[in-house]
Amino acid sequence: MKRYIDNSAAWLSAANIIVVLVFLIFPIAVAVTMSFDAREYLGRFPPPEYSLRWYRHFFSDAYYLTGLATSLRLALITTIVSTTAGVSAAIALDRYVGPGKQALESLFLSPLIVPAVVIGFALLLFFANIGVFDGFTRLLGGHIIITFPYTVRTTLAGLVGIRKTLTEAAMSLGATERRAFWDITFPLARTGIVAGAVFAFAFSMDDVAVSLFLTSPDSYTLPVAMVSMMRTNFDLTIAAAAVMLMIFTFVLILVLDRTIGLDRLIGKGVFRS
Amino acid sequence: MSVLELSHVTKRYGAFVAVENVSFTVEKGQILSLLGPSGCGKTTTLRLIAGFENANEGAVMFSGVDMKGRRPYERNVGLLFQDYALFPHMTVVENVAYGLKHRNFEKARIPDRVAEMLSLVRLKGFEDRRPSQLSGGQQQRVALARALATNPEVVLLDEPLSALDAKLRQELRFELKAILSAVNATTIVVTHDQEEAMSLGDSVIVMSAGKIMQQGAPTDIYANPKTRFVAEFIGRSNWFTGQLARSAKGMAELNANGGIRMFVNIPDSSPGDGAFDVCVRPERIRIGAANASSGDSPVNEMRGTIRDVAHLGADLHLVVEIAGGQLLAVTEKYFGQALEQSGQEVSITFLPGDCIVVPSGS
Repeated sequence: MKRYIDNSAAWLSAANIIVVLVFLIFPIAVAVTMSFDAREYLGRFPPPEYSLRWYRHFFSDAYYLTGLATSLRLALITTIVSTTAGVSAAIALDRYVGPGKQALESLFLSPLIVPAVVIGFALLLFFANIGVFDGFTRLLGGHIIITFPYTVRTTLAGLVGIRKTLTEAAMSLGATERRAFWDITFPLARTGIVAGAVFAFAFSMDDVAVSLFLTSPDSYTLPVAMVSMMRTNFDLTIAAAAVMLMIFTFVLILVLDRTIGLDRLIGKGVFRS
Repeated sequence: MSVLELSHVTKRYGAFVAVENVSFTVEKGQILSLLGPSGCGKTTTLRLIAGFENANEGAVMFSGVDMKGRRPYERNVGLLFQDYALFPHMTVVENVAYGLKHRNFEKARIPDRVAEMLSLVRLKGFEDRRPSQLSGGQQQRVALARALATNPEVVLLDEPLSALDAKLRQELRFELKAILSAVNATTIVVTHDQEEAMSLGDSVIVMSAGKIMQQGAPTDIYANPKTRFVAEFIGRSNWFTGQLARSAKGMAELNANGGIRMFVNIPDSSPGDGAFDVCVRPERIRIGAANASSGDSPVNEMRGTIRDVAHLGADLHLVVEIAGGQLLAVTEKYFGQALEQSGQEVSITFLPGDCIVVPSGS
């Protein structure tokens, strides 16, 4: 009897995984398929014929293209700033021992807990108060804030596995503390740092909630453009835009990973030996 | 002039005194063992010498130069960490070359020096391996090569053998000693393991609660511990506690608890009367009645019952219960004789010269 319960539990968890996978993949598959629909109107799934008309539409629409360009520029700058700030904060947190360490860590991660809508609205008021009305600057500020917790978190996770004796060994071998950081700590934490950068890029590309509050007529991101098009001019260009968003995110993550990430020559994964 | 000298060094963490008034010197090529239980201050002493900590009082001097305020990279020490601390993202060669690069070793000679060190620790052919691809013993040899490559003034070994299994430990102990003497390294070994301390060290310092309890050659410390702590920490020991009364020249009689009486040798300088603890090492106790031919020097003889016999290869560890229920540890060599049986009644003997007298409660 006990055995049957165990077996059925195993079956249930397998079924669970399949259901989750279906729910994850199916909507995306539908959206991707529909973006190739040849029909002029929004018809039933699956499309009877396929064409690239919505992609042509997308690439000839200045509104979408401006959104895409802003999104890419924003995501790149956000990734650079957020990673730099996150890595510095994580290193400081990792080295600091004393009262308030926990509180400080929670504070750095707080944007994860505060609803994005609240952050967006609060930032809108804040920027208005200090007299910043440029859309791009506001978006950048917002995106840095929402991506910062990820870069801090992943870098911290990378630093935790690095034993203090490694730095001490480097120092006993004649390296200054700075040298030891660049020779030992940084390369070993790199996996975590790159993971943070990838998260930052993906979240910046994807965000709607915060961006909605901070856009201006000439600075808006692709997701924001998609939301506003959905309200005014709903057609399958949105599906094509969604696919483009996915492609750009995916490609840039890949590039990031290949250039500064998985340096196969130097090592593999996070070092925990 | 001594290569290393600690002079009245004290280190406090808040109210806690980790190292208190510690002084010692180490000469060129000498190996000194710092031995003590965890928390005795031996690791702090090592960190003070390496420069990871700064002393509150006293001085750490390298060849007469006060190291006060000098960072680790401004001192020339070679440190072998307990966990080896090999850089996991570097190869064996890169690990060994690391110190040479940062200690301004002539660049063109680095490859030669690395090769020389790797042949010293017998790791030729492992140049391009990563630490994760090496066994524990090999990792330790890389760490040793890395520490010795820069010709450090002082080599510090932190529990060098404790991470290895017992068999490997014996092999490496011998090898470690050979390597250290080959480069004539001035070395400090920090360990909680008395075997490690005594086998590696030319001289041993026993520490407890931040203070030096005793310093001497391994044999001297084993044979003449000055306190009960040292006697108990080094080797196994049986204890008798009681009042000592001087009876003849160099001789006293102990009236121990449980009605046991025995003769002990004491030096003339010792006060001779009062409360003392007497230690008898397990290997000094013999099973069997006293020889008639022992002459006029008295022999301590007791009756007892064997409670346990453990055969540990070359050694037999026996537990003998004597009057008052006291259990004594007795060690015999095994050379094929018939083993004593548990429950067997025996006589045990030891000589007054086998007794080590220390002040009571020390």
